[in-house]
Amino acid sequence: MMAILVDTRLLLRRVKDFRSLMPRRNRVKEKWAATRPKNPPTRLALQHFDATYSVQLGNLWPSVRVALLSERKYGALVNNFSYEAVLANLQAQGCRDFISDTHTETQSCFEQDKAVEADKELGVSMKTSVNNSQQHSALQLSPSIKCVVFPRGDITRFKPARPDMHGLLGYYLMDAASVLPCLALDVQEGHSVLDLCAAPGGKTLVLLQTQAIRFLCLNDVSVSRTLRLKRVLNSYVPKQFLSDEMLRITSFDGTKWAEVESNTFDRVIVDVPCTTDRHSLMEDDNNIFSKSRTAERRRLPQLQLELLLAGIKAACPGGEIVYSTCTLSQIQNLSVVEQAVYLARENHGIHLEVVSLRPLTHMFRKTFHFTPDLQLGEMVVPHLAANFGPIYMCKLKRLT
Amino acid sequence: MQNNITLQSAKENHELRPLAQKPDSELSLRSLLDMGFTDTQAEQICESVSKFRGGGFTKHALSSLTTLFGLGLNPTSVLKVLQKCPELYTVKESQLQQRIGNLRKVGFVEGSLQRLVVYYPQILTVPVKTIKNVVLFLREKCLFTVQQVTDILRDSPAIVQEDLGQVEYKFQYVYFRMGVKQAEMVKSRLFRFKLDEVRCRHCFLERRGLYETPDKKGQTFIINPKLDSFLKVAQDTFLTEVAKASAEEYSVFQRLMAREWQEEDRHHSRIEADSDDEEVEEDEDDEETSGKSGYRKQRKT
Repeated sequence: MMAILVDTRLLLRRVKDFRSLMPRRNRVKEKWAATRPKNPPTRLALQHFDATYSVQLGNLWPSVRVALLSERKYGALVNNFSYEAVLANLQAQGCRDFISDTHTETQSCFEQDKAVEADKELGVSMKTSVNNSQQHSALQLSPSIKCVVFPRGDITRFKPARPDMHGLLGYYLMDAASVLPCLALDVQEGHSVLDLCAAPGGKTLVLLQTQAIRFLCLNDVSVSRTLRLKRVLNSYVPKQFLSDEMLRITSFDGTKWAEVESNTFDRVIVDVPCTTDRHSLMEDDNNIFSKSRTAERRRLPQLQLELLLAGIKAACPGGEIVYSTCTLSQIQNLSVVEQAVYLARENHGIHLEVVSLRPLTHMFRKTFHFTPDLQLGEMVVPHLAANFGPIYMCKLKRLT
Repeated sequence: MQNNITLQSAKENHELRPLAQKPDSELSLRSLLDMGFTDTQAEQICESVSKFRGGGFTKHALSSLTTLFGLGLNPTSVLKVLQKCPELYTVKESQLQQRIGNLRKVGFVEGSLQRLVVYYPQILTVPVKTIKNVVLFLREKCLFTVQQVTDILRDSPAIVQEDLGQVEYKFQYVYFRMGVKQAEMVKSRLFRFKLDEVRCRHCFLERRGLYETPDKKGQTFIINPKLDSFLKVAQDTFLTEVAKASAEEYSVFQRLMAREWQEEDRHHSRIEADSDDEEVEEDEDDEETSGKSGYRKQRKT
């Protein structure tokens, strides 16, 4: 009798481990070979980066390299739809909202005010300065986007977010630098917005936090990734905000978007697939630098160009487009934008203006490291003390 | 109480003058003065000896003193040695002689032996067998030459009190992972540094792209800095001269590495603990670690 009791208890303990119920053949098991492949994709990626970025970034590269190879920092995007006092909780742990923080800093800190003024004085003769000040005020209009980070040099980690009473999670952990392209997009009340490569949903969530968007169109070429996007949205946003009148999720080929609709959206964000530098250095599985994906990798700049062009065509005249990647590569960043601007004018008669993001970078220079003097667009480079990025972004405005 | 000691020591030391036979604290001081100590030095010795009174080992105090004098040390050095390592008061004379003899056998000639004893008197508290084991270990497991072993013991004698498993790990890390040969290890005084310190500086350089593990033929694409150029120097020099990085970066890096290794250790111990299960998995109730797989994606080095 005793033996049976003990047995059942043991059995129960076993059963608690649900994985033991899964047939062994269906469990995913990492490869445990005695020898690792001679040149794993992560190694190839590192060699590739060493060759290209040491030329492109010069003295900056060693410091970027060590940051890329070390643990990244996260930012927690506060979910306004959650009922919990998430922000206060996080702040009690020692984090700060880097978006609002800069506002107060620039207002309170005397030195910085002077610096801003000096900047403005320098730029008076230039036409962009008007633009700058306009953006300055415009950017302050989206106070509903809150992203908290631990202070510079602090390596504390965030705990996984917990669901509130409605099952919505309190915050979304993402690279804090990915919030910047969304801020740069500068969504205003009543806009219709297209996100051409939306999955896995971090940027989409940021856009939804504003609650200003009249119509949001989300697209991603991969069906499995759109499913993941839907899962993310469902666990962060209440159902009534995900209705068909406000949101459309599709899985088209983004490059052919013009065949569906063009000249419609006020804002378009094109967050293209790229070599995902940080990821490629860390993860061997499904790595873009693996031998079998060489052709795909070589085609990336072309794909990016096509996607950006599609995004440009989808925007209405006067609309704004933000192009962003998470790579440091010049070929995937500057060159793509340059070419797209050129091709849009030559082939489609669309004239574009590059909008300066200097005010934005100036605001957040305490939180992120930006590459100085980039001819086109802005780039966040990783640094050990502020290990965010890499993120490249460039904003274009359709004139015609 | 003090009398007790002097009585005992007086009994043993026949060379002491008749005055010393009187059970008086003043007299023990005198005997010390006779050995060449100054007043204050003698008082200091008496004081420290009296601390060991309870142990019943006090009778060795005098023999220790004579042995140290026998090595040719002057009173000031003897006092320094005993202050550094008061345990020496309690070691038997025969053991002390044995240990000194063994050190001579290991390769310490006159002069270097005295310097070693003054620099690291604790070596005389270590049994002969332990030292022999360390020497054997360095010769056979790490393939150092006889001369190199002597140099290691001279430069980093504390190795005799370390866990040899740890020492071996450190050696293998430097030999295989960094591709450094024995001669250079001795030159850089590797065994003076903690494994974490070595590893942290090496990893920092490696991730900055300034250090590369040589291939089978010992070739690298870049010229690696010499071990002693980045190990022996102070942190500031290391950062400005070799790594060319800011102190802020390195301080963050050190903290990151400490956490990385801690997690690695925990992971390994978990694998060992769960080895009877088929698979290792995260503890669901361990909130600290669950859901952090994203953080844990480290490059397998």
